[in-house]
Amino acid sequence: MEEKFDCIIVGGGIAGLSAAMTLARADARFLVIERGEFCGAKNVSGGVLWGSDLARLVPEYWNDEAGFERYVSHRRLTFMDEQSAFSVDFKSDHFGETPYTGVTVLRAVFDAWLAGKVQEAIDASAHPDESFLATDILVEEVIQEDGRVTGIRAGDEVFHSDCVIIAEGVNNLLTRQIGLEKEYVPGDHVAVGVKEVLKLDAARLQDRFQLNGRSGLTNEFVGACSDGVEGGGFLYTNKDSISLGLVLGMNDLRDKGKTPYDVLNGFKAHPVIADMIRDAETVEYSAHVVSTGDIKGMPSEIYGDGVMIAGEAAHLLLNAGKAIQGMDYAMRSGILAAETAIEAKKSQDFSAAMLGNYRKALENSYVLQDMRSFQDAVHLLHRQEMFSTVPDLICDFGRQFFTVKSEPTPKASAMMRAAIKRHASYWDLVKLGFKGATAL
Amino acid sequence: MKFCVCIKQVPDVQATVQTGRMVLNAYDASAVEEALVLNEPTGDPVDLVLVGGPGATETIRKALAMGATGATHLVTEDATDSHAVALLLSDHFSQADYDVILTGKQSQDSDAGLAGSMLAARLNLPYATNAVGLAIEGEKLIVTRQGDVGQEVIALETPCVVTCSNDMNNPRIPALKGIMAAKRKPITTVEATLPEPRTVVGATMDPPSREPGVKLEGEPEEMVADLVRRLDAEAGVI
Amino acid sequence: MSSILVFCSVQENRIKRSSLEVMSRARQLATENGLSLGAAILGSHASSLVSEATAHGASQVFTVSDPVLDAHVNAPVIAALEGILTTVQPRLMVAASTESVKDVLGALAVRTDAAVLPDVASFDLAGDSVVCERPVMAAKKLAATHTTHPLVFVSVRSGSYEASEAPVDGEEVAVPFHFDPATLGATLKEIVTQAGDTVDLSEARVVVAAGRGVRDEAGRALVQQLADITGAAIGASRAVVETGLFPATAQIGQTGKVVSPDLYFAIGISGAVQHTAGMANSRIIVAINKDPDAPIFDVATYGLVGDCFTILPLLNAALREAMA
Ligand SMILES: Cc1cc2nc3c(=O)[nH]c(=O)nc-3n(C[C@H](O)[C@H](O)[C@H](O)COP(=O)(O)OP(=O)(O)OC[C@H]3O[C@@H](n4cnc5c(N)ncnc54)[C@H](O)[C@@H]3O)c2cc1C
Ligand SMILES: Cc1cc2nc3c(=O)[nH]c(=O)nc-3n(C[C@H](O)[C@H](O)[C@H](O)COP(=O)(O)OP(=O)(O)OC[C@H]3O[C@@H](n4cnc5c(N)ncnc54)[C@H](O)[C@@H]3O)c2cc1C
Ligand SMILES: Nc1ncnc2c1ncn2[C@@H]1O[C@H](COP(=O)(O)O)[C@@H](O)[C@H]1O
Repeated sequence: MEEKFDCIIVGGGIAGLSAAMTLARADARFLVIERGEFCGAKNVSGGVLWGSDLARLVPEYWNDEAGFERYVSHRRLTFMDEQSAFSVDFKSDHFGETPYTGVTVLRAVFDAWLAGKVQEAIDASAHPDESFLATDILVEEVIQEDGRVTGIRAGDEVFHSDCVIIAEGVNNLLTRQIGLEKEYVPGDHVAVGVKEVLKLDAARLQDRFQLNGRSGLTNEFVGACSDGVEGGGFLYTNKDSISLGLVLGMNDLRDKGKTPYDVLNGFKAHPVIADMIRDAETVEYSAHVVSTGDIKGMPSEIYGDGVMIAGEAAHLLLNAGKAIQGMDYAMRSGILAAETAIEAKKSQDFSAAMLGNYRKALENSYVLQDMRSFQDAVHLLHRQEMFSTVPDLICDFGRQFFTVKSEPTPKASAMMRAAIKRHASYWDLVKLGFKGATAL
Repeated sequence: MKFCVCIKQVPDVQATVQTGRMVLNAYDASAVEEALVLNEPTGDPVDLVLVGGPGATETIRKALAMGATGATHLVTEDATDSHAVALLLSDHFSQADYDVILTGKQSQDSDAGLAGSMLAARLNLPYATNAVGLAIEGEKLIVTRQGDVGQEVIALETPCVVTCSNDMNNPRIPALKGIMAAKRKPITTVEATLPEPRTVVGATMDPPSREPGVKLEGEPEEMVADLVRRLDAEAGVI
Repeated sequence: MSSILVFCSVQENRIKRSSLEVMSRARQLATENGLSLGAAILGSHASSLVSEATAHGASQVFTVSDPVLDAHVNAPVIAALEGILTTVQPRLMVAASTESVKDVLGALAVRTDAAVLPDVASFDLAGDSVVCERPVMAAKKLAATHTTHPLVFVSVRSGSYEASEAPVDGEEVAVPFHFDPATLGATLKEIVTQAGDTVDLSEARVVVAAGRGVRDEAGRALVQQLADITGAAIGASRAVVETGLFPATAQIGQTGKVVSPDLYFAIGISGAVQHTAGMANSRIIVAINKDPDAPIFDVATYGLVGDCFTILPLLNAALREAMA
């Protein structure tokens, strides 16, 4: 018996699982295929899942001990030079209200948890035996007949469906295979993310970062963290571990002849970081390509006859300096793609014209709106000044401002002028400040 | 021959970050694989039995997806004691009629290695442990087992029990068709009460940590000279 | 008076060192708790080993000398031990955790209504409990486990205790035994050994262990040389046993053997938990691996980052000189 599914989803990451949950709720017959041994197995890293879409997928998820690590109650942005750190710090009880605005996750835990919820939704749907979540299987090909996507091939097995949602992540080989993405994605549209998970006993972690219960801290870093390479760093608190990492420009890394691993080790050795991770033991290291969030990096189109591209496979991501938003974009785009598929099924029309509604929905959502309106910020962030001059200057100012010497103290404005003189021409800075103000 | 494989769900011991993920005991996966290969020519059934919590269904499905015929799930709280498990399993088998019962040689989490031979003794069946190879020869099962020295080849009369090493084979990874078929295979669930355990696990702790070591520096010649000096002067082992 | 019985494993007509280690611990516990210490020895040469057992403190040595016990099948061994246990009625039977012991413990426990604490790293008597610590989760954790059952079997990982002599005037007690071979249900067809199979790894003071990095005959020859120079037994990882380069008996780890020599060389071994589960208690660990981030370096006393095909010839030469 050859079965035809309503939908096949390639990739059991956040985008794929969000699509699957949406389909299960709508009683669709579908297949999710994940190449990892389990959902999350290939996604060792993690980070902060922003926004509130998770509550749409798993209502009241916060009552569940499993799944997420901590909710974000404390945010900090740190500029650093070789020895100093100058932080903008915001903490509010307001963030403790549900639905949370951000939760830290470890993907190996979170994806597996979400997959479990999807399985529960399948079991509770009208076709519990006709939808499947299959792991440890690699989709090698998206099958096209007369320009229409009709199914997938894994090994020597072929399966057909009315439509395919490709949610394969940033390394979008299948998207390229069907011609929606160029063969070679330019290096300046991708960055390298490196990350470590460092274990630290929960009680010590909470003491060290002034957390209680499940509250957590996110800290982004700009400046000496990346050793002169374009990019920035982050530190997130999990239940009993710390996620520490960097996102580094691919081209700039290559030009400067540095390896992400070495830059990360340098970051860990920075006095500010060293204090935060003292006695924490590295239990996991991972490196992964990540989209820069440049809208020019998106595939030529994110839908076609019988196919939609969701999540980072479509380069949906925003990194405008204050946070990386990839997971929430993946979640929303997965939901929207599935909703489009459900609509398409009602009219039995899976043509590009119909699936184009997916793009429209995405354009109307915060995803593409934010990506468009923050493009300038994205570009600004890639300027050399942003990861060298500006942090140096800020730290230099901070060092003078906070130093108490037993001698007459200059006014802050004078200190600032002196710092600027040492690090940048005044004019350049005015230009940059102006850019920054309009970009954000 | 009619096979039944006892399978257990265990925590993923390889995970570095505590994920709470549960997997099919690797030794049991090898037992399932071996039974499937042996019965391939005849199409005789390969059944499964698992003692454990309701959440273990996923593990049963995994083994069914490999190709097993059907399964019985004796639903209890998760078991930690081989004695209690063997009691339940022997009740199960006393009402069944299998030629060969396979178990893993040990549970990956507790490394006890007892349930198989306990089960055999309860059922009063001949058995062999730590099998690295199986073959059917007429009414007998030829077991190659890894002994302390060399491998022993033993002919077992059936019915019998064999505990399997993962050195026996590389278990197959279920294909999509297998995963789909597994959903429609029968799983008989039986509510069961875990018998009183004989051994009680108390606190678990980290093993004594080793003194941090040193990475020797320099060219190969220098490292070797340094090592030999340290083995002699520092460690006193040569 | 109640007693502790040590079931001795025999190899090449000697009591295995691992059994003597267990005997020493049992003797200490017997003394502390006012129990007597007995030993059980099976096999056609059992009587010839009585003096070795008494030299280590066993005041009664229970022997069963039927040749059927030499046949490498478990049923007669279980029957013989059952006979001894019925005679002795000990509080505790302890044994080294060898393959042949693991083969019989579970079934024997059912036959004699005992509780089993298998593969422990340490054990003790505490009131009416037998307590132990057992490595679990591929030896990533130690689990304190206990039982209050009246009869308890304990099997002990090799190297957990030091073997020492403490001669007593012991006596041999030959236990009557009758076994009907017709009830066997199992027959040994053959024993297949490979070259290098006979050295008992768990007894060795020095172990040279090879991993997948020792990829071919040339690598094996270098490993063999190092073993010859240091008087070591050869061990191996699962990956390299799978290639057929080393015999399965050499496998060290969760599936294979547990060793704890004074000196362990890990050559071209990545250090997966299932491997370290079997060797992390070695006193000195030397790791040679070309990958500086290989997890084996986390347990190594001395780490050498480099190609073993470059390092081993140099090391062999240097050691040959140093040990000459
Ligand atoms: C270091 C780092 C830090 C980050 N931090 C954050 C953060 O703090 N917040 C945030 O929101 N985002 C963050 N991101 C980005 C975020 O991880 C991604 O945007 C997000 O994971 C995208 O989700 P996805 O479902 O589209 O893709 P993925 O999560 O990559 O999932 C794709 C899945 O598809 C599977 N797959 C791929 N190809 C196949 C195939 N052919 N067959 C079967 N399965 C296949 C993969 O195994 C994978 O599981 C970070 C990224 C990196 C690298
Ligand atoms: C249930 C279960 C039980 C298991 N039991 C055991 C067990 O008892 N024993 C066991 O060993 N494994 C066991 N394993 C397997 C274990 O997980 C690993 O797969 C295995 O230990 C890997 O062996 P390896 O280190 O030799 O090979 P690999 O992991 O492939 O490592 C080879 C290493 O050699 C290095 N190398 C390569 N070339 C060179 C060179 N020229 N010079 C120097 N270094 C070089 C590489 O950098 C690498 O680190 C078990 C697995 C499971 C699931
Ligand atoms: N809960 C269980 N359900 C089914 N079989 C089990 C269970 N526990 C142990 N076994 C079987 O017994 C073997 C291991 O025994 P032990 O190491 O004593 O736990 C496993 O490989 C299984 O085949």
